[in-house]
Amino acid sequence: MPRGQKSKLRAREKRRQALEESQDLGLQRTTSTTTNAATVSYTRSNDGASNEEGPRSSQDPTATEPLHRSPLDEKVFILVYYLLYKYQMKEPITKADMLRNVIQNYRNHFHEILKRASDHLELIFGLDTRELDPYKHIYVLINKLEPNCDGRVSDGSSLPKSGLLMLVLGVIFMKDNCATEEQMWEVLNMMGIFAGRRHYIYGEPRKLLTQDLVKENYLEYRQVPNSNPPRYEFLWGPRAHAETSKMRVLEFVAKIHNTVPSAFPTWYEEALQDEEERARARAAARARTAAMASARSRAMAGVRSRATASSSSHP
Amino acid sequence: MTSNHTSVPSYMQGSTRRVGIMTDVHRRFLQLLMTHGVLEEWDVKRLQKHCYKVHDCNATVEKLEDFINNINSVLESLYIEIKKGVTEDDGRPIYALVNLATTSVSKMASDFAENELDLFRKALELIIDSETGFASSTNILNLVDQLKGKKMRKKEAEQVLQKFVQHKWLVEKEGEFTLHCRAILEMEQYIRETYPDAVKVCNICHSLLIQGQSCETCGIKMHLPCVAKYFQSNSEPRCPHCNDYWPHEIPEVFDPEKEREAGISKSNKKPLRSRQH
Repeated sequence: MPRGQKSKLRAREKRRQALEESQDLGLQRTTSTTTNAATVSYTRSNDGASNEEGPRSSQDPTATEPLHRSPLDEKVFILVYYLLYKYQMKEPITKADMLRNVIQNYRNHFHEILKRASDHLELIFGLDTRELDPYKHIYVLINKLEPNCDGRVSDGSSLPKSGLLMLVLGVIFMKDNCATEEQMWEVLNMMGIFAGRRHYIYGEPRKLLTQDLVKENYLEYRQVPNSNPPRYEFLWGPRAHAETSKMRVLEFVAKIHNTVPSAFPTWYEEALQDEEERARARAAARARTAAMASARSRAMAGVRSRATASSSSHP
Repeated sequence: MTSNHTSVPSYMQGSTRRVGIMTDVHRRFLQLLMTHGVLEEWDVKRLQKHCYKVHDCNATVEKLEDFINNINSVLESLYIEIKKGVTEDDGRPIYALVNLATTSVSKMASDFAENELDLFRKALELIIDSETGFASSTNILNLVDQLKGKKMRKKEAEQVLQKFVQHKWLVEKEGEFTLHCRAILEMEQYIRETYPDAVKVCNICHSLLIQGQSCETCGIKMHLPCVAKYFQSNSEPRCPHCNDYWPHEIPEVFDPEKEREAGISKSNKKPLRSRQH
């Protein structure tokens, strides 16, 4: 006799809850072959896991391999995937998000978990976890792989994604730090990259330039002031300023043209000036950090001496 | 310049099996695959060649299956793998990086609120229970009152559904929603465990079935690409289970060569129907 709709829904809900509760921290791992859906599930045995959550993982009689993973290890794996997911969605990662969605009860181990996750990401994915904003605790994953082939580029399709960005930044730089959309496409078309024509690396270039790279703060895309009908222009975004420099972009452009940066005297001048300013800013920042560090250690010493003084006066 | 060869240190290895060597070629491949979320086999092969070209231009391009198995042996220690699947509607081979841990939907690396995840569960249940594998937007939105967590208005729910589309969990076609092929790859195990009574399975490949054809006599179901392969060049298709005449139109087997030729001639035109990737 088929069960009524209501009791079926209730049973389903109970089963789902039970499954989720037992998997609260107990990761059940499945391995599956790619050709058929034969799956073997390994259940973690609760060996010596002295954790407060106490996952009620079910003992699977077919389990053949007890996997020894501590709850901290599991947090690392979840964090790795979380960071990769954010990377895919091109969203910045905040410490608050990580704590709320992944770390949860292990707040005290945040740095350890993050460090281990970052190590995995670096070793296996070649991604660097960098704190973009140390005050707001915003992190990004950056590709740290350097292309190590001979840098000569024969056609647009052999530029890695970061190469396309460098090219775009180069165009902007050489149009006086602000390139109109028409100027941009003129150059990209010469490299074989066309708006509307999907590229197997970049996807659709127009979306990449006007949305994706803008969202990632590499580019600014804005309307040309007082333009009617509206026309648009590109500028460097804050992240471009942070992650690269005019000189590096000029070097890249020079390489494409099989020459050297000094072959473009005006731009070379501007790039040199930019380098000097950056060097000055770095020196100033170092001085500030040093001053803050010594102020902090003086304050800490003061606190410690007061603490020992007060504790010695108490019974 | 030589590319950076590093073997994964032992503390990261999950099993005693031989772990592969990761080079920058593999790393870049993983990055780009991750960036796209899900890729068709043809694009995956081009991606692989690109990574070799950029990071180790003198090496021979390894056979794709071995290349991926090599990477997976390293990813195993992270409970992640590159999984191969087939799109349900037109049989395209696809690859995605998936999380192997069959934790609940809420652990699927998300920033979704409790009520948003519940909305997804409701949509998922409607999709699984449906005949066509699609749930209409109206039917999903009518369930907003039953959601756990903060009260959600229908307008909000519409936005959340669009978020799911963006995250490649759902696909929308003419006001109806079904599972994205990426979501099927990633959540198959979870779905089969959570809905063992309602879930449909293909009679041929035994994998989870959301969309497919069914025998009107005995009720067995088959994926469209499985139908295509099983009945290929068979003028009198019959149900493999009850032998009754198979009443549905038999689709074509997916041919990557034909696709490429067609693609080159209409590279600037929009696709006629939205595809699940």
